Amino acid sequence: MDDGFAEYVAQRHLRLCRMAYLLARDWGTAEDLVQTALAKAWVAWRRIEGNPDPYVYRIIVNTHASWWRRRWRGEIPAETIPEAADPRDAAAEVADQVALWSAIGALSPRQRAVIVLHYYEGRTLTQVADIVGCSLGAVKTQLSRALGRLRVDPDIQTMTMERAQR
Amino acid sequence: MRYTESDLRTLLHEHGRERDGGEPAAPLDAIVRRGRRMRRTRRAATAGAAVAFTVAAFALGNGLLIGRSGADRTTVAARPTGSAQPARWPKLPDRFPVVLGAEKFDLRPIYTGRFETVGAGQRLTFTPTSYSTAIKVACDDPRAWVVVAMPLKGGETGGSAGRCGESVGGHHDRKSAPSGWLKRPQSIQVWVFPADAPIREVACRKMPEECDESVQGRALLRPEVRDQLSAMAGGQPGRWTAAIYDRAGKRPPLPDGGPLPDAGSPFASTSTPAG
Repeated sequence: MDDGFAEYVAQRHLRLCRMAYLLARDWGTAEDLVQTALAKAWVAWRRIEGNPDPYVYRIIVNTHASWWRRRWRGEIPAETIPEAADPRDAAAEVADQVALWSAIGALSPRQRAVIVLHYYEGRTLTQVADIVGCSLGAVKTQLSRALGRLRVDPDIQTMTMERAQR
Repeated sequence: MRYTESDLRTLLHEHGRERDGGEPAAPLDAIVRRGRRMRRTRRAATAGAAVAFTVAAFALGNGLLIGRSGADRTTVAARPTGSAQPARWPKLPDRFPVVLGAEKFDLRPIYTGRFETVGAGQRLTFTPTSYSTAIKVACDDPRAWVVVAMPLKGGETGGSAGRCGESVGGHHDRKSAPSGWLKRPQSIQVWVFPADAPIREVACRKMPEECDESVQGRALLRPEVRDQLSAMAGGQPGRWTAAIYDRAGKRPPLPDGGPLPDAGSPFASTSTPAG
């Protein structure tokens, strides 16, 4: 049984691993997630109509959510994001990046999935809702809460503008 | 400080590219092997459910048409789900010591079932040979959670839950066994959940700080908690073995890594996914 499955794996495996890594934050877990999702997709391959991506993404997101607690134990959620000393300082910029990455790790699996699918995969919120398996309104709520926790302001368009305000 | 959506996108793309040791290879063979294993497991589960349905229907038919004498003959042996691959399985003792006052005796296994996934319930169906029937479960991971549910004398369901290494199980005697215990095949349901199953998240949302091991164990006795956990954690790999012990049983081979006995045992039993 193939019907393009091998081709799909060859083309999409790396991208899926990267997306899974952003959810799991561990490459070993990410590869395991992707392998699990692709194995399930292989079983259902003949029944999948059209683009298999949403189906595979959905398995990755759901599987990650079910594995979440095991992985989550090892992480330390950041309650507060460190303030940068000087916005023009290169070290401070790195610290900002680290703080943001750390804050992403503190999101719930569902919120992290919404962030990754929307901002990394470039999916529309409607597509995200389809993948995550909830309503568009619920996705908007999750996104809003996640951005709030990350201190990402959708109204601010560029880092330069934001920094000029400080 | 505050960030922009652009910052977020950039950060995600930078982290998505990072990886020590180069890009991961696409393991097509491993994926397909895993897919085949999943398909076999699903087919076995479906076949097991069909066998159980047939047995139940046949037993019911016997009971209605020819009374209880037919019910005792209704035994069909089947391999438990997931027992197709030869592998090492958690071992169980070949005796279950019982002390009832001054009376001491050992129960012997009449049925063993092996399973290679956790998170879903299994119904073990067997034919008791006395009122002293016991169950014991062993797991690859002694920290895995085990729940045992069995019928009690008053018709209600009783059971126990705890970590697999803490000897979860129990036994009946003449006073606790339900009426008709020896007249027909009986069932005990067993659930094994991963050691890190999110019990706290499912069962202790209101007071997570008070959700210690004993509270989590009690929570597992609630069907709605088990259902949610099965939906979240069902199908994860994890080997476990369950054995039914009885007083006058003939000893079948115990799990030691070898193949399971097939049909033909006078104590033939079935295991099916529990609802």
